Amino acid sequence: MGPKRYPRPPRRARSRDKLSRFAVFAAPGLLAYFALVLVPIGIAIAYSLTNKDPFNPPTRWVGLDNLTSLPSDDEFLQALKNTTVIAGIVTLVTNAGGLALAVLLDRRGWFYNALRSVFFIPVVLSAVVVSVIWQTILVDDGLLNSMLRQLGMGNPPGWLSDPSLALYTVSWVIAWQGLGFCVVVYLAGLQSIPKELYEAAAIDGCGPVMRFCHVTWPMLAPAVTINTVMSLIGGFKAYDQVQVLTNGGPGPGTTSTLAFQVIQTAFTGNHIGYASAMAAVMLAMVATISVIALRLLQKREVSS
Amino acid sequence: MTGLRAWLRPLVALLVSSLFFLPVYLVLVNVFKHGSAIVSNPVGLPIPPTWDNIHSVLSRPDHLFWYGLINSAEVTAISMMLVTAVSAMLGHYLARSAGVAAKVTMVTLLCGLMVPPAVILTPITEVLRALGLMSTVPGLIVAYVGYYVPFGVLVFAGFVKTIPRELEEAAELDGAGPFRVFWQVVFPLMRPASASVLIFLGVWIWNDFLNPLIILGPATGTTVTVGIYRAIGEHQADFGTVFALMFLATLPILVFYLAFQKHFVKGLTGGATKG
Repeated sequence: MGPKRYPRPPRRARSRDKLSRFAVFAAPGLLAYFALVLVPIGIAIAYSLTNKDPFNPPTRWVGLDNLTSLPSDDEFLQALKNTTVIAGIVTLVTNAGGLALAVLLDRRGWFYNALRSVFFIPVVLSAVVVSVIWQTILVDDGLLNSMLRQLGMGNPPGWLSDPSLALYTVSWVIAWQGLGFCVVVYLAGLQSIPKELYEAAAIDGCGPVMRFCHVTWPMLAPAVTINTVMSLIGGFKAYDQVQVLTNGGPGPGTTSTLAFQVIQTAFTGNHIGYASAMAAVMLAMVATISVIALRLLQKREVSS
Repeated sequence: MTGLRAWLRPLVALLVSSLFFLPVYLVLVNVFKHGSAIVSNPVGLPIPPTWDNIHSVLSRPDHLFWYGLINSAEVTAISMMLVTAVSAMLGHYLARSAGVAAKVTMVTLLCGLMVPPAVILTPITEVLRALGLMSTVPGLIVAYVGYYVPFGVLVFAGFVKTIPRELEEAAELDGAGPFRVFWQVVFPLMRPASASVLIFLGVWIWNDFLNPLIILGPATGTTVTVGIYRAIGEHQADFGTVFALMFLATLPILVFYLAFQKHFVKGLTGGATKG
């Protein structure tokens, strides 16, 4: 017994040491994440299987009823369509505009530095501030339309009040705010391309367009990945701008997004079970889109 | 041809930037104009400038701006520091542990990066209610800590790999416990990572709208960002006051950003260039 007992205390001490290390360094962060992200996801999934509504007790299990009624819910389908349109427009505008601006501003000196900061300022502003700024410009008797009237346009468009226009106006405001992010990421990408590659391409007889297609674009692959994924996810989460600019209108849900629909259904309509089903679907979609976009774009990074 | 190009680029750049900046310019000049001047000549410079709009926001009888400012400052400062401390420790711990458990934990945390706030907000209010923290400032702070730990861990765990393990082992041999090794050796070396985490969180949390709107609710007062939203309902026509409120609410975070601008852009572009 004697010789066997000897090594045990240190090992127990070591495992106690390991445990206290975990408790001090890892536990606080993991606990916060568990209690306020993982548990809420679990609760949302559980609620999505019930008819929970604090003003209409009792709460019962309804199985997949909420999920199966989503495809025939016009409000949900409208929100899904709107979210897709917003995410698509934002991704296209910020990437195309961001790349063009980055190429334009890719020069040294205080002048170009100052212009870069100009594009970045909206990124630091809150979405609420940006939305209120654009609202004062775009409402029916706002700054833009009074200017258009002075220029002789009798009946200027209702940027936020015309149901066929409002969704594009909201997308534009979101894209305007996110543009600077893409500019900065593309500029960093451009500046990381070795100058020798351009010289070699020029010696081979490539003009500016060919140099862009064969050197710049492939070398920018990582920047394209970041910007596309960030804009897609950002567009998919859109909430603040909708609430401030249009509150989901004009008319029933013409600019409502998935995030807006989830919050409205849960906190205004109190249909928590149904809202949770929407939330679960939204989470699955964001996850799928992020994974697919990352896979596709990273494949391009490797092959180029 | 080259002469033409030489001035074409700065000219185009200046034109595009001015057009892009016009909305921000409109707010800036109209903060210092009277209501009648805003309507009759929105684009002109405020000559002579008036301080009436600023003054009326600062001296509102309900103190909306001041209460909002205090709440925003408290929530932002405490959340930033807590997330940084907690995720630096966790990021370091996970990056230094081998084994499947650490890997699985890491992947689980990274999945949290893509969870939209709207998806988990209803259940978060229930968790906070169960903890007795709903409609309180500590409740909002706890919610931010949980939500932003994955981002912090991502940044810190990546940075830990640039710190030689020998430094930590040397400190341990000198008799320092794990707590001292971390806070006196590792954490100071991670200053660039801490800086980008602090700045991103500062901007995100100060500007957040949905979480304070729902978690703080109307009872406990609100943050400046939610305050702007509440104020536009009341003074729909009074552009000057709304602009002044937005200007004052943005000033602190803008100064904070300008002071640490370099870290912000560095953190943002880290992934874009490493190829």
